[in-house]
Amino acid sequence: MPTHPGNPPATTRSASMDPLVITAHTLTSAAGTGIAANAEALRSGTSGLRPCDLESVILDTHIGRVPGVEAITLEGALAPFQCRNNQLAELGLRQDGFADAVAAAVERHGADRVAVLLGTSTSGIAATEAAYHRRDPQTGALPPDYDYRHTQNMFSLADFVATRFGLSGPAMVVSTACSSSAKVFADARRYIAAGLCDAAVVGGVDSLCGMTLYGFNALQLVAARPCTPLDRDRAGISIGEAAGFFLLERPSADATGPLLTGHGESSDAHHMSAPHPEGLGAATALQQALVRAGRRGDAIDYVLMHATATPANDGSEARALVRSLGPNPRAVGTKGLTGHTLGAAGAVGVAQALASLDGGFVPPTAGLNTLDPDLGLDARSEAEPRAVQRVLVNAFGFGGNNCSLLLEAAP
Amino acid sequence: MNAIGLHAVGLLGPGLDDFDSARPILAGDAPLTSREVQVPPPGLLPANERRRTTATIRLALKVAEEATRDADRGQLRSVFASSSGDMDIIDRICDALTRPEPVVSPVQFHNSVHNAPAGNWSIATRNPAPATALSGYNASLAAGLLEAATLQLAEGGDVLLACYDVPSMESFIHVRPIHHPFAVALRLGPVDKAPWRLQLDLGGPATADRCISADLEALRGSNPAARALPLLERLVRGTPGNVTLAAPLGRSLNIRIEP
Repeated sequence: MPTHPGNPPATTRSASMDPLVITAHTLTSAAGTGIAANAEALRSGTSGLRPCDLESVILDTHIGRVPGVEAITLEGALAPFQCRNNQLAELGLRQDGFADAVAAAVERHGADRVAVLLGTSTSGIAATEAAYHRRDPQTGALPPDYDYRHTQNMFSLADFVATRFGLSGPAMVVSTACSSSAKVFADARRYIAAGLCDAAVVGGVDSLCGMTLYGFNALQLVAARPCTPLDRDRAGISIGEAAGFFLLERPSADATGPLLTGHGESSDAHHMSAPHPEGLGAATALQQALVRAGRRGDAIDYVLMHATATPANDGSEARALVRSLGPNPRAVGTKGLTGHTLGAAGAVGVAQALASLDGGFVPPTAGLNTLDPDLGLDARSEAEPRAVQRVLVNAFGFGGNNCSLLLEAAP
Repeated sequence: MNAIGLHAVGLLGPGLDDFDSARPILAGDAPLTSREVQVPPPGLLPANERRRTTATIRLALKVAEEATRDADRGQLRSVFASSSGDMDIIDRICDALTRPEPVVSPVQFHNSVHNAPAGNWSIATRNPAPATALSGYNASLAAGLLEAATLQLAEGGDVLLACYDVPSMESFIHVRPIHHPFAVALRLGPVDKAPWRLQLDLGGPATADRCISADLEALRGSNPAARALPLLERLVRGTPGNVTLAAPLGRSLNIRIEP
């Protein structure tokens, strides 16, 4: 690590990149509303996928639709943010005492010391899609009640969450497709290490919309049946939606819980919508997460894979795992439960990893019937009850954008 | 935050073809002659990839190339900051979705992601280093600067920040009045041998600084990336100075510049 005049010496800096504690979290997906329901679905392999019943989308596919999103009404200062993505965010924020935990963090650190770093791929684009259906037939003008800034703009999600909690720390939305809500964990480590904040609300939200369903369909990546990650007969993705939020802080007497100990990020530099066939970028991200945590591959209980269930993605990722961890690594794919939640996928994976650390089980790969022998992985269709200490979580996106995170049980 | 080095700048906007040729304008020694912005094709991409690029990708890659002319492009990490991303594609896809049987172009769809410029940049430069894409609405430049600075401070080395927005298409011009493309790139790195040293401080609510030049001030509000103009004006003056930019959530980003 190079040193720079004016910067603290490397030892101080690496000490300041110590693990962060996840002091609170929440997850809402098609598999459940709140972490208890998601943990139970994870353990039992109970899928939340159903035939596509979105009013605006007519496709022969299954989706991971969260019940109750449409019933959420945003009021007062939050009213301008009303759109499916922020409704789903709000539904998520009401679960698991997360709002109380954020309020307590504000008490401890101050509202301007809590960062808001969130991921999404399509933000509130469903609002824009709906507005296009209501364009003026003569002039083509968008309807006057359409609010671009608070719905479709990429920053809307962070703005919404900050407004809801009265936070004024450093804020941004990361949008790197399906790695978005994993990369914000790495950002939180750097922001806290740089002294920009003392705590961070991280995570991500992505919601069902016509653009992603028809877009992935155009790329011929969407399965008709519920997706079956890692299966010999896997035929593509099922698209889902989810909201996952986490409160990250430095370890202290007040801040205890599971730890984020490692992160790795890389680019494939290969293709916009196809992964590197050998999984080189993915392997780099995974290895960096291990190095930053000071862990060897054999210390990892299992990898919670990105495993979208397209033939190419799962094959490429499996090669990255074998390259980094050795032959036949223990691996889990969970998109059979929730669908591929795109920009929220990293947040979903982290919450699932925390459920397995807390509940003492290696999750099954939901929907797995016949493991693809060419993958060279140890993936199973049943949960394995046992103590779990360390889980690697992968999230990879279009543009060859890769992120791996290492989560560890509370010490 | 600790100081970081600013090593090179890329620029494209109305009457501003690149940073070097724009120096006299930024210094107040030459008038701004506003004209249509010509975005050159990205020289680093192979021809077949170049054909698939969009205006957003070309805009971002133009300033990224300029700011990395003297750098190892195969190594540096990158941050792509944009308020709105590829609104042209959003427009076309949303329009297609109003048809009875919607057909979305696969190339348009994969270019619709906010990190399409980041992905194209990593492919063009064969660069396996991490790349990110973010938004802070009108304060995307300040958000991008904080992201790039924290990356530099965490690991050392060079970090490219590109900040850009394309003009809004016709159906959006009333809800998001961005009339011209504008892009700026900053190559950050260690403070040694840097022509400028930047000290960033995320402060409380404060009014963002205006441009010194009235012509440039008229551009500043026209595009989120043009919020960089007061910083660029102070860079070319060769004297120490301060500039305050708007940061997300009503905060301010104070930048102390030391040549």
